[in-house]
Amino acid sequence: MIITTKILNVDDYYYGVFLTISEALTGFSANELLSTGLSETYYRYILDHIESVTFTEFLNTSKNLIEKSENSGQLKNYISTEIIGIPSTQAIANSIITLWYLGTWEGAYVNDLSYKEGLVWNIMHAHPPGAKQPGFKSWGVKPVNSNS
Amino acid sequence: MSQQNNNLTKKDVIIVGTGIAGSLIAKLLTDHVFDTKKGKMVYRTEVDQPEDARELSVLMFEAGLEAGLELDSAASLTTYNEYIRKFYMEEAKVPNSPYPNLKQAPSPDVLDMAPITPPFPDKKGYLVQFGPMPFASDAIRVGGGTTLHWLGTTPRMLPNDFYLNKKYGRAMDWPINYDILKPYYEMAEFEIGVSGNVAAQEYPISESMEEYYGKDYVFPMEEIPQSYMDQRIINGLAGTSVELNFENIPLTMVPSPQGRNSTPNPAYGKSRVIKAETSDSGYKLILDSSDKEEYKALGAIWNPYMGERCEGNASCVPICPVQAKYNALKTLKKALYKVNKNDNLQKNHNIQIQAQSVVYKLSVDQADQEKISKVHLRRYISQESTNFIEEVIDTSDSIVILAANAFENPKILLNSKYTVFENGQKVEKTVANRSDQVGRNLMDHMVMLTWGLFPEPIYSYRGPGSTTNISSFRDGNFRSEYSAWISPLDNWGWSWPAFSPGSDVAEFQGQGLFGAELKEALQSRLTRQVLFHFEIEQLPNPNNRVTINDQYLDALGIPRPVINYELTEYEMKAMEQAKMASDQMFARLGVEDFTTYKATDNNTFVYNNVRYSYNGAGHIVGTYRMGDTPEDSVTNSYCKSWDHPNLYIVGAGNMTTLGTSNPTLTLSAFTIRSVESILADLETKLKN
Repeated sequence: MIITTKILNVDDYYYGVFLTISEALTGFSANELLSTGLSETYYRYILDHIESVTFTEFLNTSKNLIEKSENSGQLKNYISTEIIGIPSTQAIANSIITLWYLGTWEGAYVNDLSYKEGLVWNIMHAHPPGAKQPGFKSWGVKPVNSNS
Repeated sequence: MSQQNNNLTKKDVIIVGTGIAGSLIAKLLTDHVFDTKKGKMVYRTEVDQPEDARELSVLMFEAGLEAGLELDSAASLTTYNEYIRKFYMEEAKVPNSPYPNLKQAPSPDVLDMAPITPPFPDKKGYLVQFGPMPFASDAIRVGGGTTLHWLGTTPRMLPNDFYLNKKYGRAMDWPINYDILKPYYEMAEFEIGVSGNVAAQEYPISESMEEYYGKDYVFPMEEIPQSYMDQRIINGLAGTSVELNFENIPLTMVPSPQGRNSTPNPAYGKSRVIKAETSDSGYKLILDSSDKEEYKALGAIWNPYMGERCEGNASCVPICPVQAKYNALKTLKKALYKVNKNDNLQKNHNIQIQAQSVVYKLSVDQADQEKISKVHLRRYISQESTNFIEEVIDTSDSIVILAANAFENPKILLNSKYTVFENGQKVEKTVANRSDQVGRNLMDHMVMLTWGLFPEPIYSYRGPGSTTNISSFRDGNFRSEYSAWISPLDNWGWSWPAFSPGSDVAEFQGQGLFGAELKEALQSRLTRQVLFHFEIEQLPNPNNRVTINDQYLDALGIPRPVINYELTEYEMKAMEQAKMASDQMFARLGVEDFTTYKATDNNTFVYNNVRYSYNGAGHIVGTYRMGDTPEDSVTNSYCKSWDHPNLYIVGAGNMTTLGTSNPTLTLSAFTIRSVESILADLETKLKN
């Protein structure tokens, strides 16, 4: 597979890797991830919050897996064995999933937007409590997108 | 610390606390003036000659921050946005999470609750808990009080709730009954702005709904729609019953009346005013409907056109972002601003609110009928510092109204000692405590939760916290044996008992799931989560109590509430029966039960070899109960202290028993009624 997202500048060399591996880990498309408006914030937040060697290692592993995968099915298998199957990289992968799903890193929200953009609410056809309110009576019927 | 005697001109009325009880009294009193010609208190627009109107001067104290009481549009929006931002950022979105946690006026917080190992108290939080069971509910000391984070459910109490002793041989009867309170319930429903459908209510009582609500009565606003989940559960349970010990109980699922805005009900018609009428026997409040305006929903305090209807934020507890849910600041604002003769809102300069002021003691003048002569408070200067100014307010010519919550009111009273000479003997007394009931009979609904997975998606996590309740168990002969309960259906999945959805994400990650499989697992789990509440009535128990102890002081040197608390077999048996009901309902619905009660839970016990756990309901009630005699109660039915002629104590603490209703509507009703007595006292005072 090819890492398609453009590299913004040399410092952001791994940003595209982060986004592509996030797609595979979360099950959300790059467009869905980008539409949170938080992908760069998250990338930089992780850079600031774990040893850069650790993160770089994780991203190098990810980069290799992405590049040697012919398709997403193959990538999924690689991730299972070479990321999720290894405790140190599994921990980072789960932290990244949690960040996208819930907006938290090690239990703390990155910012108030990260709470509101948690993707878990989309999975359950709901919305983060206190934000993105769907309107009066919306709760009285099936969610509009629940059949899609 | 510096001390100063407050040399403000003497006030007619001092109110401690800006929650719903204090705000209701402030609003209703400032709606009336003393007509010097008639020598009567009259509704402010009904004074014959403007120059005859003598305005009441009112001073309110609030322990919370000054910012929380700035109610003009820009300032209130700024403060409220701070609350919302804090809510977004807090990891544990518990009821107190949006609001400032003050070291100078600390609040009990559910995050501080922990199991107790007697004889050592748990004193991590604000409460000093001796147990043996931790008291499980919180409250918040902020402008507007705990109505900022209430859910807003507003059922009335049932007729038999007032006669637990006469009907079932339990506890003590109230000094008033449902019929007496009924007109005040209507006033409370108007002031709070209740949405609901009278015709859809169904309770296990002998009275017809027409008798219970009155012919043609409707709530101000139409029903808040029941959730999609509710409808699925109702479809599965309608027409069925559950078998408890010796009794078969038919299930009735009713839409809950709620203090949140929907659509004004055309049948309600005009807006109302609550005003006093005089008669030979004193003042009587009536709900007058001669207003020229149609009833309108009242939105946010910063903009009445925001929050005119619930928008489905699904965050009523802890905060409604648009203030479609009622909070007491709406009533307080009506005390601070009055409509002038040109129909414009104008600041009312006769009422003042002094924030950051923690009232902690009252003094008594033995020479003058044991009147409350002084109110003592500590005013802190900023959120950052615990420096304070000691202030003393002369109340010898004022009516003092304690309107704090059921921890704070008894705390102030128990901290107010005085000595008298009786038969040549020096006797130490505590303010308002002739009955020795101050601080006793602390109650809460014990909320046993049961949760599981519905066979198909019911799409929880949407809408107000609860829109339907099972009313079947709210009354019945079983109350001689075990508690009645109300069962709200909870719209917010397993967020309360299991910290979903975060816990579900972690659980499936633990199974090695990621990507599409993780998404599918979460979708299947989170869209099917159902949660039932069993809110169990706790009986008054003199040993469940708030006391104070010099060993335990807060940062201002004021005693912290010390709590002793336990439950009895009456409540334990109710939980056993409620679990039987839950099991039968889950089986009928095909709900896969995920309920687990653990020995490590904060509030847990074993009864008949089975473990049960429960949570608090936030219904902190009963520490200065009303009654028929000074021997067994702290106040009369008008919330007036039996012992002091110028002291009223109002709020949830007056409740003689708990019933199965969320207490706010009921405390509002009898607090409104107390104004009749306060008006009579003011007339006496102002005539002289």
